[in-house]
Amino acid sequence: MKQLHKNKKSKYSILKATDKLNFDISTLKTEKIFQVTKIKNLTGSAYILQFKRNGIEFVAGQHITLGLPGDNQIREYSIYSPTGIPFFEVLIKEVDEGLVSRKLHRVKAGDILKFDGPFGFFTLDENSLKKQKYLFIATGTGIAPFHSMAGSYPELDYKILHGVRYASEAYEKNYYPKDRYVLCTSRDTKGDFQGRVTDYLSFHGVDSDTLVYLCGNCDMIYEVYDLLISGGFNADHIKTEVYF
Amino acid sequence: MKYHLVTLGCQMNKSDGERIASVIEAMGYSWTDSEENAELLGIVACSVRQKAIDRVYTRINKWNSWKNKKNLVTFVTGCVLPDDRDKFLKLFDLVFQISELHLLPEMLRTYGVVTPFSLGKEINIHDKPENPAELQPDFQTLVFDRGKKTIAGQPVQMKKPEKRITDFWNVKPAYQSAFEAYVPIQNGCDKFCTFCAVPYTRGREISRPSREIIDEVKSLVSKNYKSVTLLGQNVNSYGKDKKGDEISFASLLEEIGKIGEETEKEFWVYFTSPHPRDMSDEVFQVISKYKCLAKQIHIPMQSGDDKVLIRMNRNHNMNDYRRIIESIKKYLPSATVFTDIIVGFTGETDEQFENTRKALEEFRFNMAYIARYSPRPGAASSRWDDDISHTVKSNRLHNLSALLQQHSLLHNRSMIGNTYKVLVTGRDRKDEFWTGLTEGRIIVRFASEKNNLAGSFVDVTITSAAEFSTEGKLVKIYSEELTEA
Repeated sequence: MKQLHKNKKSKYSILKATDKLNFDISTLKTEKIFQVTKIKNLTGSAYILQFKRNGIEFVAGQHITLGLPGDNQIREYSIYSPTGIPFFEVLIKEVDEGLVSRKLHRVKAGDILKFDGPFGFFTLDENSLKKQKYLFIATGTGIAPFHSMAGSYPELDYKILHGVRYASEAYEKNYYPKDRYVLCTSRDTKGDFQGRVTDYLSFHGVDSDTLVYLCGNCDMIYEVYDLLISGGFNADHIKTEVYF
Repeated sequence: MKYHLVTLGCQMNKSDGERIASVIEAMGYSWTDSEENAELLGIVACSVRQKAIDRVYTRINKWNSWKNKKNLVTFVTGCVLPDDRDKFLKLFDLVFQISELHLLPEMLRTYGVVTPFSLGKEINIHDKPENPAELQPDFQTLVFDRGKKTIAGQPVQMKKPEKRITDFWNVKPAYQSAFEAYVPIQNGCDKFCTFCAVPYTRGREISRPSREIIDEVKSLVSKNYKSVTLLGQNVNSYGKDKKGDEISFASLLEEIGKIGEETEKEFWVYFTSPHPRDMSDEVFQVISKYKCLAKQIHIPMQSGDDKVLIRMNRNHNMNDYRRIIESIKKYLPSATVFTDIIVGFTGETDEQFENTRKALEEFRFNMAYIARYSPRPGAASSRWDDDISHTVKSNRLHNLSALLQQHSLLHNRSMIGNTYKVLVTGRDRKDEFWTGLTEGRIIVRFASEKNNLAGSFVDVTITSAAEFSTEGKLVKIYSEELTEA
C-alpha cells in the first residue's frame, strides 16, 4: 500500500521524506472520500452534488458531512436522494459568506471530497409507515430529507409544505405527486399558496393524529412550533431538524 | 528524565492522561510535579470552552520561553479543533490525536530523544501484543498529507480510526488513584448538538469492545478499587455503532453488575455522560438489580425549554426528559440526580430561561453543572450571533445556582440523623477531618484521628448540612474485617 499525497505533477504520488522535525500526525488522518460524479445546477445558487454510494447504507432523513480534502471546514448536509439508487445526492445552496458552500459550488465531476457519516435521527419509524400520516414542512433546502423520504418509501402517506420566497426556488417539484406537494411562496404568486407555511397552516390546520416533521431555518421551525402548540397539538408529534 | 503532563477538561481527558502517562513512563520517563524540572511537557487539551484553549496558549508560551535554556520537548493532544491544531503546530513540537498515542515513542525517537525505545529496546504499552497484520493501512481510504509534514523520512502506517482508538484503549493506564478509576467505554459523538465541538474533535462514536471493558473492571475490582466510572461522550449509546455486533449499554452494566455479585466485593460503578435520547428504562432496571451499580444518575438537561432544545439539536423534548426522571424515581427511588445546564444559549429569551428555572424547580436536582454559553469555533452555534450579554448570562447563572443551593440544602438536611456508607476520598482542609462521598456523591466530612482512611468505606451519621456538603460522626470503618470506630 502506498501513502498518497497531492503534488503538482500528478494528482497523487508516494509520500516523500521530509527533514522537518516537528510534525503533526493528525494532518495525516485518514479521510473518507467521495468522488463527485455529477453536478446539477437548479438555480443560480442551488445545486445538487452527486456521488457514488460505494455501498454505504443510510436511512432517509440522515445527513453526511462534506468538505474539501485538507480543509478544516466541514458542513452537514441532509441526503437528498432516496435509498434505492446507487448514488448519494446532496442539495446545497451557496451562501454569500459561506466557507464551504461556495467552495463546493466550484467542484467538478471527478473531484474528490471528504465526507463522513451518515448520521442523524431525523428519520421515520419504519414500523408505522403504513398507518401513519405525515406532514413535512420545509423552507428552502430543508426539503432535502423529505425528498429522500418520499423517494425511499413509495407507500408513504405524506404532504409536503415547501416554503420559499419565489416559485423558482421550488427544487424539482415535479418529483412529488401533485396532491402531496404544496409550494408556499412568500414573495410571488406563482406557487400553490401565496404566503408563508405558517399562513397555510393557520388556514388549513393539522389533524391531531399527524406526525409533523420540520426542517429548515430556526425561525420557521419556532413559528410553526408555536402555532401548533398554541392550537393544542402534542409536542411529542413534532420532529425537528434545524439547518445552520 | 522527567515529564510533566497538564490535563485540562473533563474526566475523559483525565482518563486519557492516565494512558498517556503509562506510555511516557514505559519509555523511561518519571513524573515530576514541577514543570521547570521536566524535559518532556505535554498538555491534554479541552475545546469545550475558549478559556481552556487560552490556558494551552498561556502554558506553551511559557514553556517555549524556557527552550533557550534547556532541552525540552513539548506536545499537545486531546480535544483539539482543526483550526487550533494548525496554530498549535507552530508552537508545540508534537501535535497528535489521542488515538495516535501508540506512535508517541516513535515520534520522540524521530525527534532525537534518547529513550530505551530509541535504543531499540522493546517497550510494552499494551495489555496484549500488537498483531503486525493489523498495522496494515486501511485500503478503503486515502491519506492526504496536505503538503505538510510527516514523521521524518518515514511514511506513517495508518489504520482505520476504529483500530487506532482500540489501540489506545489497550494501553495500560497509570491510574492516578489507588481506589478511584475511570474506564473509557466509548469515544466520539454522532449527536451534533449545535453548541458542541466534540464531533469535530473526537470524531464518530466508537464503542470499546465489551470484553476489554469487563476485563478492566474485573482487574480494578481485584485490586480493591472502590469507585469505577465508565466514561464516554455518550455512554448510553454504547454498542449502537456496532449494529448488533456488540451488547447494549444496559447489558454492559448487567455484566459489570455480575462482577459485583461474583466477587462479593464492595465497590460503586458510575457512568458519565449519557444522552437523554438514548436513555432507556432498561438501564435503570439493571442498576436497581445490582448493589455495585451506584444509585446516582447524571443526565444532562441543557435547557428546560423545548424551543431551545430544538435549536441545540438535542433530539429530545421536555416530555422525553420528564419521562426519564419519572423512570429514575420509579426504579431507583433513592438515587441522586445530577445534570448539566447551559444558560444564555444563542437566542435564549427570558421566557425560555424561565422554563429552565421551572424545570429546576420541578426536578430538584442534587447537583447541576451550570455553564454560561460560550461559542466554540467549529460547533454549529458558533456561526450564530452570541446575542445574550455576559451580564444576562451571569444573572441567569446566579439565579439557577441560588435555586440549586436551596434544593441541595433541603436534600442534605433530610440526611441528618441517618447513617450513610461513605468512600473516603482524602483529607479535608479542616484539621483532623476527612472528606468522602456517599454512593449518591454527596460530600460528607467527618473527624477522625486515623491517618490511613483514604480509599476506605466508612459509615457516617450525618449531623449537619450545608448547601453542597454534609458533616457527620464516624461510626464504622470497613476494612478486611469490620472494625468499630
